Amino acid sequence: MAAARRLKRVAASQPGFLTLKPSLNPSDLVSGRRKRVNKNKKKNWNKHSDINDVEEFLEDVRHQERTTGGLLSEKSDDSLFFLDIGQPKKAEQKVEEPVETKKRKGKASRPLRIDLILQHDSLIPPAKDVLAYQQPNAKKLRRIAQKAEQLAAKGVVPRRQRQLLNRRPVDRTAKKSATEANNNPDREYYDIWGQESKESADPWYLQQTGKKHVKRPEKLNEKPSVLPAVEVIAPGGSYNPDFLSHQALLQEAHDVEVKKQKQEDKLERQLAFNKEDKATEETVLREQVEGLVEEENEEEEAAANDDEEEVAVGAIALAEKKTERQRKRERAEKIKEQQRLANRKQTDQQQQLFQLRSIKASIKQREQKTKANQIKRKAKQEAQKSQPRRLGKLKFQPQDLEVQLSNELAGSLRQLKPEGSILKDRFKSLQKRNLIEPRDRAKFKRRLKVKYVEKRAFKEIT
Amino acid sequence: MLSLPDFRRLCILKGIYPHEPKHKKKVNKGSTAPRTFYLMKDIRFLLHEPIVGKFREYKIFVRKLKKAYGKTEWSTVERLRENKPTYKLDHIIKERYPSFIDALRDIDDALCMCFLFSTFARTGKCHVQTIQLCRRLSVEWMNYVIASRSLRKVFISIKGIYYQAEVMGQLITWLVPYQFSHDHPTDVDYRVMATFTEFYTTLLGFVNFRLYHSLNLLYPPKLDAKTQSELKEEDEEDYAMDSESYIEKLSALSASLARVVSSADEEDAELDQFPVEGEDMEKMEAREKEQKQQEAQRKMFQGLKFFLNREVPRESLAFVIRCFGGEVSWDKSICIGSTYDVTDETITHHIVDRPNIDKQYINRYYIQPQWVYDCVNAKILLPVEDYFIGVTLPPHLSPFVEEKEGDYVPPEKLKIMALQRGEKPANEQEEDNDEEEEEDEDDEEEEEEDDNADEEEDDEEEAEEKNLKEMEDKRSQGKSLQVKVTPGKVKVENPARLEQEEKAEEKRLAIMMMKKKEKYLYDKIMFGKKRKVREANKLAAKRKAHDDAEKAKKKKARK
Repeated sequence: MAAARRLKRVAASQPGFLTLKPSLNPSDLVSGRRKRVNKNKKKNWNKHSDINDVEEFLEDVRHQERTTGGLLSEKSDDSLFFLDIGQPKKAEQKVEEPVETKKRKGKASRPLRIDLILQHDSLIPPAKDVLAYQQPNAKKLRRIAQKAEQLAAKGVVPRRQRQLLNRRPVDRTAKKSATEANNNPDREYYDIWGQESKESADPWYLQQTGKKHVKRPEKLNEKPSVLPAVEVIAPGGSYNPDFLSHQALLQEAHDVEVKKQKQEDKLERQLAFNKEDKATEETVLREQVEGLVEEENEEEEAAANDDEEEVAVGAIALAEKKTERQRKRERAEKIKEQQRLANRKQTDQQQQLFQLRSIKASIKQREQKTKANQIKRKAKQEAQKSQPRRLGKLKFQPQDLEVQLSNELAGSLRQLKPEGSILKDRFKSLQKRNLIEPRDRAKFKRRLKVKYVEKRAFKEIT
Repeated sequence: MLSLPDFRRLCILKGIYPHEPKHKKKVNKGSTAPRTFYLMKDIRFLLHEPIVGKFREYKIFVRKLKKAYGKTEWSTVERLRENKPTYKLDHIIKERYPSFIDALRDIDDALCMCFLFSTFARTGKCHVQTIQLCRRLSVEWMNYVIASRSLRKVFISIKGIYYQAEVMGQLITWLVPYQFSHDHPTDVDYRVMATFTEFYTTLLGFVNFRLYHSLNLLYPPKLDAKTQSELKEEDEEDYAMDSESYIEKLSALSASLARVVSSADEEDAELDQFPVEGEDMEKMEAREKEQKQQEAQRKMFQGLKFFLNREVPRESLAFVIRCFGGEVSWDKSICIGSTYDVTDETITHHIVDRPNIDKQYINRYYIQPQWVYDCVNAKILLPVEDYFIGVTLPPHLSPFVEEKEGDYVPPEKLKIMALQRGEKPANEQEEDNDEEEEEDEDDEEEEEEDDNADEEEDDEEEAEEKNLKEMEDKRSQGKSLQVKVTPGKVKVENPARLEQEEKAEEKRLAIMMMKKKEKYLYDKIMFGKKRKVREANKLAAKRKAHDDAEKAKKKKARK
């Protein structure tokens, strides 16, 4: 019963509680009979004491602090009030300046809304973070630091630092590769021929430890070609050449072209094909029909051939064995022949005595011939030396003569158009002097075969 | 062990060349397939090279780098890059060229390559560092040649510019490409060229060092302190960054180099003349004369001030002019290092290549650039009139052609040789005047130039003949000769001439006394020898015909 009444009272005390009867006031229901409460008990201090006034007061104080940064009663008069004397002249100038700043900055003079939102809106400074100032071992650490300071003042250094100082400094070889590279534009050169060789140690020791320098074979010091490194162009190659030397150069170029043309013509002639030899329809027909038509002519021809063959067959069948007589005769003849030859030889030898002069003459001739041949061979060898050798797969292709036609010659240095590329010239010169073998550009070789497939659409068309 | 490209690189660096065997079939084990052969001994020698190890390390480095890239481990990539294996070629150079003179003999090729590579564009095709190094070395070389005044011949061809210098008794020829021509052909193997260049740059660097020290100059070269302060301008930053401005100034070739032991004035002390053993007075005198000529040649442009206009090749001309003692400058906007301006009054020669020029100063010559080069080749200062603006230039002859006796010598060269000997073409002018009394007098000056080229050298004899002819004509016409009897003059007999005449007489007698057979042989030999002379005469006749035809054409065009 008491519980039900309490429940009703609690429900009625809720704001917005509506009674069934409109005339009834909820507060009347509540405060019908007030129950007596003991205010001396701690339990009831929270429930039944009215601290609203105190709360209001404190709230007011907090509000003041929030908005104005302190109690209004504690503020000075000047901060709260000002004396209105009217508008002095300075105000105009002051007005101008802020206007100017406003004009200058424009919209940038107003702070962003987001910044405004994020700012503190109360003037009370935020509380300090106590945890930040808390160090668990602060005292101990302070003591240690002080002791270390005292020792350092005396000169005693802790062991760790001593070790660090004693350690040798690290050679920072950062980017050493860049400075040591062979094509570094700032690289250093020194006198390489001025210093004597430092091989002062025992040769046996050097050999055993592998420090001995291997001698360069003598043959490598010879140049592979007698040609000079830089061949100056003929005088006709000047930018403003003399008439005749220019003509001479043109003649040379012309000769080269003529030679090339001749070779092409020769090739064409060799491939040439007599038009009459081409098969006409008649001969094609005859070839196809051979053996099928015209049998009478064949028989006559066959008969003529047979007669000839028989005669030849007869001649072969008559060869018989040799008789004894024949063999003896042959032997005697052989001996006679040999004797005759021996006699002849003897007489020849005897007669040679009288032929001395002509023999001498013939010997001289032969010697001359051999000498001439030797000279020719030597000359050929010398000529070969100046030729580029055949060193690799490709033959050496000399570059085209650099020549400018008469109408291309420039009158002045300004209008000169250079001919030929020096890069190519140097490359060819290296090949000519047998320093490298003639090389061609690497071709693109496919490892796997390419398969050609027609698209379905194509297949339908074709 | 080594891959094929590595092997080839090593061969190039060490100077091992492929060998053509005499009996290919034997070496190739029966087949005649074309292959490249190297000697076994050479290959065995190659294996002792410490660079082989470096090649292997590099291969491994590339492999690791690829792996790191593939795994995108960038810190590893950086670390690997920092410790990239490198090698130096110094010991190879010492091995291949044990003495300095050996290196000098092979320096032609190296110079050509370095100059060629320094003109390449700095795209990534070959290392930009190589191009920079080549540029630096070529500039150093040019500065050395300027300081030692060793340039002897220059030839401008359609390919490039050929220079020849004499350094320590060696004649060195090199070819410099034009700055503006560049189409890189595709069939040149760049890797091979790059390997050669690598070797040659090292060689050239060491040679430069040695040469500079032989001249008592600082290496790496530093500009002379005095001239450097002169060159300091306010707007230096317009040309190059600070780090590069030094090499740019050096490459301008307009300043002199600093010496190790600075000498205030250069005094050319007269060397004592010590007679070499086995030489008599004549040879010594000849040598002295040659030396004096050389000295005069080296100072050819001394005292002359040149100014280069914008359209002429600045570097080549600056190099040549400074090699012979002249001073040169150019417009400020072209390049750093111009010492004086176009308005300077003391300029003696202004080098122009345009058809005409607006403002002309009086006390300087306006000439085309070929004058400088022709002077160098002729070893004297040629007359400036032939090279004025708008004048058709005489042909630029090659100084590398040495004409033997009896060969055809172009008339321009004859003229130059005459000038060298000191004869002025004065006699020729007399004859021209006689000829042209009949022709228009307005054309006189032009005709003279044309006719000068046609004249022969023996003017004295012709003048005498002419005089005799005139006298005969006058006599036939019945006029009294203006001959008077004057006391005789003692004719000075030239002993040398007499000797020559005697020798000629003796020769003639000996020829007359030969037997028929011998005379026949002698005639044949002489015929062969004179063939060249005959050909030369033929060519000269052709040239004359051509010149006459041109003259006729010009006359017709004008009339």
